Amino acid sequence: MRILLHTGKGGVGKTSLSLATELACAEHGHRVFVLSTDSAHSLGDALGRRVGAEPTEIAPGVVAQEVEVLAELDRAWRDIREWLRELLREDTDGLLADELLVFPGLEELIALRAVNDVASSGKFDVCVVDCAPTGSTLRLLRFPDALRVFMEHLFDFERKGVRLLRPLVQRLGSGRLLPREAFFDALERLYKDVESVRQMLLDTDRTTARLVLNPSRVVVAETRRSFAYLSLYGVSTDAVLVNRVLPDLAQTGFMARWADREERVLGEIEESFPVPVFRVPLAQREPIGAEVLRQMGESLFDGRDPAEHFSRQSPIQIKNVEGRVALQIDLPGALLEEVKVSRIGDEVLLRVRDATRRLALPASVVGRALEQTRLQDGVLTLFFGA
Amino acid sequence: MRVILYTGKGGVGKTTTSAATGIHMAAAGVRTLVVSADSAHSLGDVLDRDLSPEPQSIAPHLDAIELDARIELDRHWGALRDYLIELFRYQGLDEVLAEELALIPGAEELATLVAVDEWARAEKYDAVVVDCGPTDSALRLVTLPEVSDGALRTLLRIQRAMATLVRPLASRVVPAPLPEGRVFREAERMLYETLDRLRARLLDPLTTTRLVLTPERMVIDEARRTYRDLALFEVRCDAVVMNRFLPDAVTEEVFFRDWLEVQNERREEVESLFAPLPVLTAPLQEDEVVGLESLSIHGKALFDGFDPCAILGVSGALRLQASEQGYQLKMPLPGASADEIDVSVVEDELHVRSGDRRRALFLPATLAGAAVRGARLQGNELMIEFNPAPSSKARPR
Repeated sequence: MRILLHTGKGGVGKTSLSLATELACAEHGHRVFVLSTDSAHSLGDALGRRVGAEPTEIAPGVVAQEVEVLAELDRAWRDIREWLRELLREDTDGLLADELLVFPGLEELIALRAVNDVASSGKFDVCVVDCAPTGSTLRLLRFPDALRVFMEHLFDFERKGVRLLRPLVQRLGSGRLLPREAFFDALERLYKDVESVRQMLLDTDRTTARLVLNPSRVVVAETRRSFAYLSLYGVSTDAVLVNRVLPDLAQTGFMARWADREERVLGEIEESFPVPVFRVPLAQREPIGAEVLRQMGESLFDGRDPAEHFSRQSPIQIKNVEGRVALQIDLPGALLEEVKVSRIGDEVLLRVRDATRRLALPASVVGRALEQTRLQDGVLTLFFGA
Repeated sequence: MRVILYTGKGGVGKTTTSAATGIHMAAAGVRTLVVSADSAHSLGDVLDRDLSPEPQSIAPHLDAIELDARIELDRHWGALRDYLIELFRYQGLDEVLAEELALIPGAEELATLVAVDEWARAEKYDAVVVDCGPTDSALRLVTLPEVSDGALRTLLRIQRAMATLVRPLASRVVPAPLPEGRVFREAERMLYETLDRLRARLLDPLTTTRLVLTPERMVIDEARRTYRDLALFEVRCDAVVMNRFLPDAVTEEVFFRDWLEVQNERREEVESLFAPLPVLTAPLQEDEVVGLESLSIHGKALFDGFDPCAILGVSGALRLQASEQGYQLKMPLPGASADEIDVSVVEDELHVRSGDRRRALFLPATLAGAAVRGARLQGNELMIEFNPAPSSKARPR
């Protein structure tokens, strides 16, 4: 299943373009699913009809769903919550456990699971994801990494520890504190789900990101940062969609100065991203409803299949550079002083400003020393020794 | 101390509005700090100045700051973070990852709020204007003290339970001691006191939120939901700001004919949806609003006759009334629909769920233990009817 992640600064039209893309996919014969993972959902607003937490068919072969955190929690976390309830029975009414599980940040995880569900249903060729604005989406990508480590270390430790402790604790009469097997099973299921979603997101054959932006200076600067971050997290961006470009008709009179400014910004956009840039003109009226959005999708991709890979640039490449094994990572917009690279065992730790990623090194590089790093033309090259 | 929070869907001009408000207030002699709490900062871009996590002087009586949640976090919860890092490292994680994990989700928002509260208590300023960022993160911000209260309490309990559980083993295997009960108690106290203070700040009558929107369908729809969700958490709104209203000068442009036609309907719609809040309208300028001069022009057009510092309107508040059958609790929930609402009473708490948000309210003593007889939406208000509490039944009539 092809996965198209739409992200970008708030208000640029991610939702409208996600839907336009979905409807254009359907025109090309794909069975397609659009999933909103932004907790401020607006699929329904853009379609002018209710969508909601259950998959809703909005046109033949076209399904939409707004992931609802509370509903998903009720479905997916029952065992974990049961255990928490039991653990906290003594001094709580049980609702605290619910509150813990809607703790901000868990939404990302729930959203990830939903993509997985669409894939494993086997009923869809394309899943279009309408993501939250830039920041949250990046957290979404970071979370599986954090979770993996957390689960592997903490819970595995606990599990072993609990086994060892069981006789002791039971003797002390606090047996209720022991997590039941069901709890660990639930955690393991969750971990497996998350791991498979992670694999899916980082599989550039299946998943690419589409960055949505408007021709405004502030928006472009932020989108460049997103591009660098996505790349850093191992997600490949294959197209940039510029929404609300003033059409020729609207460039005169009062709007003349806006049009001038836009022209310059559009030039800057073309220079900023090493992937195809598609433009969507500002419509003469608000693009609400499936029919208008379908037309928008048609003009957006100019008859091409939106599910194709518009760029095959993989975000992180391993290649031979100047006779040495090197990893190359696209980090357009990053400055040398903002990038920090360090080696930890079989992994490389990359920091670009405040974003951090652990990069598991390919087998061919493991065991080689990291000798040199270089940032040139938006490409970070890590040279490894013999 | 006056605190004004601006929020709205992305791209509607929150930052511009916050900056223009600050400039306008400072010009009237109000010592004002404009705070950017949106992690994707653009306040500096709008003011055309380099800002930092320390207040910079922008104009007489006007300072601006771009908060860095991580710095705030270190300042306020350095000790707790250290403890968490220690805990994670003890679990076998390397330092960097332990640091990553010690960033409890929501902690950054909490730290931001603490910073806002601190500036609000500073003698240096009369008013703090906060650019909260997009609706979702802003809602998280204002609902956090309540949501975190339960969540943090629970987390601490789990950690403590785990620590009790693991300590006997740990002391045999690893020399590093686990944090003792004292650490948990300290963390707990700190969090509770902080959360109480933040809750008080958000419920302070001089703290209000202003919703920023544009005359576009999707933007209005989202603002409406935000208004409802804010009401659920009793956060006061005092005005609606409508940006990008096409000025008359555009009338001659054929392309914008439909946009022009629709925007007047939209303004009327917004006025009725958010009544009794005033709707301040700012026309689209001929060029990007960047720099003090254009911001000042923009602010004049926006506030046209209104005092930006004043409380411009009053959204409803919770009301408890005695009725013949018991009590009625009236909760304003503008724009809510009955099928999205769920009401239940658990011991001394009233749980109201509206769509994806849930709030637990402590019931006053008169209502503790009273059964909910029914709940219904009446206009923009949720009316919850209680039977008399068991204790009051015994009382002679």
